Order: sequence, then C-alpha cells, then structure tokens
Amino acid sequence: MTKINRESIKNLDRNTLIVGLAVAVIFVVIGNLVFAYAMETLDVKAEELEVTGENILNAPFPEYVIPGFENEWGGILLGVVATLAIFAVTLGIANLLKKKKE
Amino acid sequence: MHIPDGFLSPTVSIVTFIVTIVFWAISFMKTKNSLDERQVPIMGVLTALFFAAQMMNYPIVGGTTGHLLGGASLGIILGPYAGCISMTIILVLQSLLFGDGGITALGANVLNMGIIGVFIPAFLLLALNKISKGKDLLAWVFISAFAGDVAAAVSAGAQLGFSVPTFQYGLSVAVPAMAINHSVIGVIEGVVTMVLVGALLKLRPDVMSKSPSLKDLPIVQESNT
Repeated sequence: MTKINRESIKNLDRNTLIVGLAVAVIFVVIGNLVFAYAMETLDVKAEELEVTGENILNAPFPEYVIPGFENEWGGILLGVVATLAIFAVTLGIANLLKKKKE
Repeated sequence: MHIPDGFLSPTVSIVTFIVTIVFWAISFMKTKNSLDERQVPIMGVLTALFFAAQMMNYPIVGGTTGHLLGGASLGIILGPYAGCISMTIILVLQSLLFGDGGITALGANVLNMGIIGVFIPAFLLLALNKISKGKDLLAWVFISAFAGDVAAAVSAGAQLGFSVPTFQYGLSVAVPAMAINHSVIGVIEGVVTMVLVGALLKLRPDVMSKSPSLKDLPIVQESNT
C-alpha cells in the first residue's frame, strides 16, 4: 500500500472537517426541530421528590435559547455558533497540547 | 445526565471534584506527551460533533428522554486522556453558557461523562481486542460504548443515591432508574460509535493508528503502511 503523504493528509483533514462540521450542524437542526423536548430520568425523579435544581450561575443562554428570541430558529443559530466556538476552542487547546516536533 | 446545582450533597460534590481534578491533571500531562499533530483536527471536529449530538434528546422509557454522551467515541478514537479533555470542554461550556449542569456539580458531571464514560470504553476495548486478537472489532466497540454509557449512568445514580439529605430516594432507587433508562441510550451510543469507528478505520487509518485502543490491531497497521 502507498504511504500517505503530507499533501494527502491535508486534503483528508479538510474533508474530515467539512463532513464532521456539516454533520454537527445537521444534529443542531434536528435537535432543535425534532428532538428538542428534554425530560431526563433525574429530572423526573427530582420532580417526584420536589427537589428543585436551580443553578447558582446565571448562564447567558439558559436552556439553549437566546433571551428574547425564544424559538427554534434562535436555538439553531445559537447551536451552530456554539458548535463552531467549541470547535475553535478545542483546536486551540489541542494545538497547545500536541507533541512538539523534535 | 447533566446534574444541576442543588441535587448533590456537599460531600458528594467535593469528593467528585477532587477525583476529577486528579484525572484532569493526569489527562493534561499524558496528552501533552502523546497527542499527535494528525489528531488535532479530528479532536476539534469530534468535540463539536458530540456537543451538537448532545442537543438531541431521544424519547426512552416512561416518558423520559436521554441524549448521546459521545464519551466512547472520544475515548476510543482520541485515546482516554485527550477524550477526557474534549468532554471537559463540552461540559464546562454547557455549564457556563447554557446552564446545562450546575457549576457545583461540574466535578460529578465530568467524572460521569468525561472520565467514566470515556475511560471505560477505551480500556475495555483495549482489553477485548487483546483477548480476541482483533477479531470482531466492531462488536467489541458496540459493547464497550454500551458499557461506558451504563457505567456513567450508574455513577450518576450513585452520586444522587449518596446525596440522601437532598435526594431522598437513596441508592436502591436512583441507581437502577438511571441504569435502566440509560441502557436504551447505551444501545444507540453503541451503534453510533460502531459506525463512526468503522468509517474512520476506512477513511482515516492514519488517525486511527494513533488510538491507544486500536493501534496494535493488524487492520490498523496494514491500512497505515
């Protein structure tokens, strides 16, 4: 088999990024339009016990919505921006952590 | 599976934070010595992908919903240490930006989803591959991912069960409830992980050859030569 050269790895990386981020955007859209309703097991058990889980910090986008723009399109916009932000943050951290070339 | 503030007792919060901080330190040190340049783009993509995947809530048992964790894929593809860092990034941003998971429960949430949900699939797959000498790889991937999800749910149930003053059900109710309901998600996680690992073995053998769980397998070594 042929050894993968540097140029082909760059192409593979670019394809991986495009496909991976496209699938992530599709997940965000489906998550907001189809699978948005959330009632997790621990939420049900907490409701049965009348335990309230109020977070200490005031998150800027509680429940994945933009305050004042509480519909699925706002959720999609926020989800896509957050997904790209997480991608960028992870790339930054991974670049700092990667093995240095000898 | 994200535990908010107010569900856990202070003792459980503190203990889980201590365990998590130890794993963070180990994971950063190990990743610094082992993360290959070729893994960097895939680490970014997978972290973004599973953040997005966690936004989809599937109906499971008795009107409840659950979401994919992604820990198995991160642990198997990137290795458990880089996988732990990836899941930590997701959980920290979810907590700070979206209020999904409390800040006092961050240690517990990282322990469940970023450590147990990542390390168990990665090490279980490594062990199963050694025993089977690489045969039936994707079946072992499915089992490892399923086990990781159920273990994470059992851990979350145990933390709630030990927080009796706040969460009065105790272990006998909290653990089975979490384990049974999340075993359904475990099946979906298993299938997704199997598909992703299978696809990357074909399309990116150069990246998969860096995975500690897979690098010794003949299929990975052959396709990367």
